[in-house]
Amino acid sequence: MPKTNHHRNGRSLLLGSLLAFAFGSHELRAQDARPTAFVNARILTISGAPIERGTLVVRNGKIVAVGADVASPAGARIVDCEGGTLMPGLVSAHSRAGFATPPSPPTAEAGARRGGRRGQGAPPPDTGGRGAQNSAAQKVAERLDPKQEVFAELLRAGITTLALTPTGDAFPGFGAVLAPDGTTLDTLVKDDDAFLFVGMQRDTRVKKTLKDGFEAAKKVVEARKAPKDPPKPEAAGDKPSGDQKPAEAQKQGEPQKPQEPPKPEQPKPEPPKPDQPKPDQPKPDQPKPAEQKPAGDKPAEDKPAAKPEEKKDPNIEVLADLLEGKHKAIVQINSASDLLHWIHACGKDLAFSRTICTESFDQQAGTFDLVLDDLKAMKAAVLVPPDLNVRPRSRYLENPVRALHEAGIEVGFVLGDNPARVRMLFFRAMELIRGGLPRDVALRAMTIVPSKALGLEAQVGTLETGKKANLLLFSGDPLDPTSELRSVWLEGRKIDTDKKAR
Amino acid sequence: MRLPILASLATMLLLAPDLLAQRRGRFNRGGQGDGTPPPAEKPQEQPEGDGKPKKHVAITGGDVYLGTGQRITGATVLIGDDKILAVGHRIELPEGTTVIDAKGKTVCPGFIGVYGAGMGQGRGTPWIDSCNPFDPEIKQGLAAGVTAFLAGAPRGGSTPTGDSAVLKLAFGKVEDMVLQEGSVLGMSAQLSAADRDKFRDLVKQAKEHRRALEEFLVKKAEDPTQKPPKAPAGTEKILDVLAGKSKLWLQLGGGGFNPFGGGRSSNSADLDGIRSALQIATDLGVGVVLVKPVSAWLCTDEIAATDSMVVLSPRDRVPADPADPERTGSNLATAALCNEAGIPVAVTCPVGMFGGAGVGTNGIFGQDLNTPTVDAAFAVRGGMSSSQALRTLTLDAAKILGVDHRIGSLEAGKDADILILDGDPLHYRTFVEVAIVNGRVVYELTNEPLYSRIHR
Repeated sequence: MPKTNHHRNGRSLLLGSLLAFAFGSHELRAQDARPTAFVNARILTISGAPIERGTLVVRNGKIVAVGADVASPAGARIVDCEGGTLMPGLVSAHSRAGFATPPSPPTAEAGARRGGRRGQGAPPPDTGGRGAQNSAAQKVAERLDPKQEVFAELLRAGITTLALTPTGDAFPGFGAVLAPDGTTLDTLVKDDDAFLFVGMQRDTRVKKTLKDGFEAAKKVVEARKAPKDPPKPEAAGDKPSGDQKPAEAQKQGEPQKPQEPPKPEQPKPEPPKPDQPKPDQPKPDQPKPAEQKPAGDKPAEDKPAAKPEEKKDPNIEVLADLLEGKHKAIVQINSASDLLHWIHACGKDLAFSRTICTESFDQQAGTFDLVLDDLKAMKAAVLVPPDLNVRPRSRYLENPVRALHEAGIEVGFVLGDNPARVRMLFFRAMELIRGGLPRDVALRAMTIVPSKALGLEAQVGTLETGKKANLLLFSGDPLDPTSELRSVWLEGRKIDTDKKAR
Repeated sequence: MRLPILASLATMLLLAPDLLAQRRGRFNRGGQGDGTPPPAEKPQEQPEGDGKPKKHVAITGGDVYLGTGQRITGATVLIGDDKILAVGHRIELPEGTTVIDAKGKTVCPGFIGVYGAGMGQGRGTPWIDSCNPFDPEIKQGLAAGVTAFLAGAPRGGSTPTGDSAVLKLAFGKVEDMVLQEGSVLGMSAQLSAADRDKFRDLVKQAKEHRRALEEFLVKKAEDPTQKPPKAPAGTEKILDVLAGKSKLWLQLGGGGFNPFGGGRSSNSADLDGIRSALQIATDLGVGVVLVKPVSAWLCTDEIAATDSMVVLSPRDRVPADPADPERTGSNLATAALCNEAGIPVAVTCPVGMFGGAGVGTNGIFGQDLNTPTVDAAFAVRGGMSSSQALRTLTLDAAKILGVDHRIGSLEAGKDADILILDGDPLHYRTFVEVAIVNGRVVYELTNEPLYSRIHR
């Protein structure tokens, strides 16, 4: 596996993914300029009150009009919804679907297979912190096997925006946003650095890696703020002798000192706008994301003669970007205990743009409703499983989702990476609503809240003009147990939902 | 029918106004009124440097067992933040004190499980990094009265080793979970001749090192450039034991006489085994902790002479070897006899565990004989006074874990780990109503699903 300085290549990689967009799967679809009008529909816009009978017009994969008194444009293809309900496609901000190595924990699958009403499965496996690492600059998309049926299955179950979360503790790298209809790496990966994933475990190594990582990043942030002067002599004297490797320095808990005044920040482009094709980009030298290898744990190994500024630990640079607000993060904290350990390791004041995510309720270590005050102080939305929880040592059912909502915390759902479980989502949501969760909160929790976690709130999650036409058409209200998912529309294109899962 | 009692109470009232508040819990049949004068009554509150006002809690009117063997009736326990400020009568409560009325209840120190597992313990040193403060087992342990326990049982070896910690059942607070790390080390009680020589040599080196350290301190006062002597390899843990930083636990027991064939197997808990364990204490020159020396009743004076302590399961039965009844076998009275000889005794249940599935739950989940109090009650059955039996769960247990400076009794300056019970501490019908750890209420009978539906 050739090792490259992926920090240097970050820009071209991004460009590559943009190009993959422009010339990949979406190019052909977006050519169809003929509008589609969904008429005779009840429309759950999520952004506002439901429209009891209205029309939604789609052109070039985007919503161009939505409302009760919208007329279908002349020549439009008409989709008669026959009184069915349209809602935005589901957004899954945390999934390890199709992520072959290492195998995703069997929890969700086991829960769904068991058919238990809580679907909780076993608590997340205790990795003992073996996965603790700082490879924040790594991208999960580079380890993705695109030839998997699961993405299409999830799409047929209603997930039109799918995040791919790296496995590992502490800083395993960037998560990606996938287009679940893609079949090749180019068409599947929409955004390979959509969010930085941070995995918390109550474990010495994980806590130390987190603490050291953030402390080193804070120093880099301070150094970046410092005025650009020529290197000070004492700073040069401070510099570690010769060929000390960043990874090692960091392992020893000595955060790397920036050797030179920071260069102007590597421009992190705005989140890629997949809908803006860039026809002026030359096609032939479009770099494929697959060719970009992550630098791995020892980025400095094969460039001993590197210039001083290249000795910057790319992982720490990424964390510094995070603290400066150039990235978003999804922080997986699975239990109330782990949340307290997060505060114990990183301090109460550490703040960055983040969403907290819990994969499954861990009865052995407490659900978030036990630490509402600490959670509120973190000022972040929280993604939790759409499940009721059994109070430990009892058979009382509790509704942690409602507790979070009532504490004023924005709450979203972890939809899981198992298509069978995703198909149960609305039943789970009905249970939560019966348990006192407001209906609109439940609907937001599966659409716009996870969309915000991915930084895609301008594109997906609601039915508003300008948003992508990711639509679910139900025969009745989605939260009516007799209602069926009739069709899924991805950017205005109908997905064949009849196809049997293999 | 109550009249004579009231009349006698009235007489006592005239004689001693302090006894006015003397009331027993519903099931208090202990009957031992030590009559010892209450200790310090003045809150020893020093103005703290940080200027932050203390959060005061007072538990008033309860029948207060101090854990030292004394009892004060109708007394007040005043807590400031996480420490006990004062115990006694006529304590002036600071403004804003939260008062918990414990009239008719029993107040005593939290019980200490000298062996434990689960209950929020993590994976090992540093214990704080992996502890689980929301473990449901913590609530179960608190329901059984346990507020602290030893996690990571000390194991054997030819020199002191171990990775243990005294953990607190501080539900919901990471920082409070670990009381002390490495306070207990383990070692094999029976050494081979070669190992014994090696051990003695290490002890000798360690003692020489301690002397060298003392000399160094004197020299350093004169000459600051002096370098401290380096500890000889392999003596670090022995030095901890010699310095009193760690208690050395010697695991006895195992084997025993099998009446169904096989005869007597090697048993380190009989008289010879205990004596060879005490030899280690003699070599070190400091007391050790004998864990389950079932034949200790045969040599209590020898144990006391080495300043050693004892962890017992008073209901353990080990049949004596018929061929050698003078040197083998258990005795129900062992705990009482040790206590008479002045040896601190802690009790634990036979399988050696409070915690995990073994946490006592007062009979509700079929674990009725696995609570700390039942083990102490077996000591009472063997002739120990009930006030002393409570010490086996509190102050003496704390001594054996080397944490008696922090927990084990209700005394000013100690951690506020307190139980409010609805009866005599050792009675099997008694429930824990409130458990307080580090001044924080962490368990309330009425708020937990465990026993709140039991109507009594």
